[in-house]
Amino acid sequence: MSIPKLEFPPFHLPAEAEALRGEVRAFLKETLPKIQSEDRFASWNTPSPEFSRALGAKGWLGITWPKQYGGAERSFLDRLVVTEELLGNSAPAGSHWVADRQSGPLLLKFGTEQQRQAILPRIVRGECYFSIGMSEPDSGSDLASVRTRAEPVPGGFRVNGTKVWTSGAHRNHYCITLVRTSGQHGDRHKGLSQLLVDLKTPGVTIRPIINLAGRHDWNEVTFSDAFIPEDCLIGNEGDGWLQVTSELAFERSGPERFMQNVYVLRELVRVLGRQPAKRASAILGRLIARLWTLRQMSTAVAGMMQGGKSPAIEASLVKDLGTIYQQDLPEIARTLAESDATTEDDLADFLDVAQYASMMAPSYTIQGGTTQVLRGIVARGLGLR
Amino acid sequence: MDRETRDMLLETATRFFAERAGKDVVNGVEKGVWPADLWREIEEMGLPLIAVPEEQDGVGGTLADLMAMLRVAGEHAVPVPVAETALANLLVAAAGGKPAGGPSTVALGELSLQGNRVSGKVARVPFAGVAERFVAIITAGGKSTLVVVPRDAVAIEDTPSHAGEPYGTVTFDGAMPEFSAASPVSAGRALELAALARAMQMAGAADKVLATATEYCKQRVQFGRPISTFQAIQHMLAELASCVAATIASAESASRDADEGGLEKGGSFSIAAAKTQCSDFAHRIAALSHQSMGAMGFTHEHILHHYTRRLWVWRRDFGSESFWGEKIGESFARAGKDELWPALSESRYAA
Repeated sequence: MSIPKLEFPPFHLPAEAEALRGEVRAFLKETLPKIQSEDRFASWNTPSPEFSRALGAKGWLGITWPKQYGGAERSFLDRLVVTEELLGNSAPAGSHWVADRQSGPLLLKFGTEQQRQAILPRIVRGECYFSIGMSEPDSGSDLASVRTRAEPVPGGFRVNGTKVWTSGAHRNHYCITLVRTSGQHGDRHKGLSQLLVDLKTPGVTIRPIINLAGRHDWNEVTFSDAFIPEDCLIGNEGDGWLQVTSELAFERSGPERFMQNVYVLRELVRVLGRQPAKRASAILGRLIARLWTLRQMSTAVAGMMQGGKSPAIEASLVKDLGTIYQQDLPEIARTLAESDATTEDDLADFLDVAQYASMMAPSYTIQGGTTQVLRGIVARGLGLR
Repeated sequence: MDRETRDMLLETATRFFAERAGKDVVNGVEKGVWPADLWREIEEMGLPLIAVPEEQDGVGGTLADLMAMLRVAGEHAVPVPVAETALANLLVAAAGGKPAGGPSTVALGELSLQGNRVSGKVARVPFAGVAERFVAIITAGGKSTLVVVPRDAVAIEDTPSHAGEPYGTVTFDGAMPEFSAASPVSAGRALELAALARAMQMAGAADKVLATATEYCKQRVQFGRPISTFQAIQHMLAELASCVAATIASAESASRDADEGGLEKGGSFSIAAAKTQCSDFAHRIAALSHQSMGAMGFTHEHILHHYTRRLWVWRRDFGSESFWGEKIGESFARAGKDELWPALSESRYAA
């Protein structure tokens, strides 16, 4: 007996992708200081329509999509480089993030021609934003247990139910919503479908769910006899589960799973000064080595995907390790700064940064598949279940 | 080597190590039995001469080929100085010499030259107890000199490693080298290459630990079912897999970068980061694998300790996570916060 070998073949991003990196970096250097952001340390979920439109104007949204929908038909690796630079420079990419990462690709793969033409060019311009309508009050990790029901009626569906943790629903235009269109609650994967829901639809009510840090990112989205026209069905009726799992793959393997709070590391470098004590340098170096390793792993996964493989286990491992790294980072950095920050002012400032980062940290190992769900996937890959 | 040749070599090495470097041989070395036949066959296969050019009596191939072979050696806890001898040979060849036969090792530490004679002391020299010669690189006046010192010219104090391998403290007291030449490889670079070799051996050992723990948990029955069916065990092994994956990925990336950048300077940062990473995770890999195997894995009878003890020793060899981490941290602090991402994304030191 043997277990499948874990391989992360080192992969170089191609020269044209690296050339693009230089362009993106120069653009960010010029643009970011001009962008008003509600966060001092922005990240991929900090919204800024202004920034998204500027990025769209450069042609860097929907970069892999066909030209007929406004895309640039560039490679998936070019997209990776743009993503890395947005994260590495803490750009406020929250408005377009979901649309560019998963909603657009989902519509490209399963949507109707009419849906693609109506929506994709707007995403590309940085004008059209999406939410994810998967989780419900009684349905989190066990997504197949969703209860929101879309009852077929003449010309469309009548939708009733509640979605929760719907990030950005109060500012976004659409929500791709997983609903039951046929069968019973106990039918699990069968009878689910995805609907393209305009968030302005009558009968759709959006209420804030404030998170522990006092931020309003999440919402509860309630459907009360909301009428959704039949041309808003994405793909085939009953194929929702297949589609949603393909969408989740986009969510797992990206660098946002280990670079979300890279600002903590950058600020740590600042407060430690140019010549930290040996012990402090060593701890800083270990944090940097972990981040470097995650990047090598993520690039290797991208290389495998580019080569036509689907490294699901490897992608899950990257998210598992990456999110735990993001959780460890503020804690290690905080105690290190307490002993080694160069000035009292720097320390006080940094402790605020670290405290904020610590408050956000629990979300990393929950969103996009909890650590436990991921470990279940890995365990299956190891042949344990 | 082309891809096919390398794969063939690795396959052959895997089969050979599995057959000839089994449990008894590893245990034997710990008791002081030198596996002369195993070493002879390793030499006949030319393994310690990979990456040494053919015109210098080597078998050719690249640094990456050598490192790939060392990962396989790590996966089998091969208890002879194949890494150390290969490294010594590589350094000798780079300085224009021809590698000699027999086990060799590298003595990387503070040594000085008076005229042609070598003085100083290096602790924890791997396989000092069996090496026929010691290769060192000495820095003086900005120049690097490679020296090859025969065994009978030094004093050796045995300090076996915690994995039972014959490490020792080597004292050079005006020792006369059998060969010396200007070295294009600096002392610092020799340490990087040695660290890279260990990182790759750790990748191999980590892989074996995961395979061993996984197989054990599938077979071990408690409460009427294989313990691998318990979610607690599944999650522990999944976490183990993540640590093993990081070890493999970091070592392989460093090997690629070292190879592409050339023997004298390639992949400096990547090697430092990889050795930091591999050393950092050795603890979790050992802890999780032992926990999953209970008392059985803690016995001398089982092979798990051949790997976990080596991980504990190797994480310290040629620079621990503190040593390499400090180099990385110093550089990134010196460069300041705005260089963090640019340097990291290019796998280079920030300053």
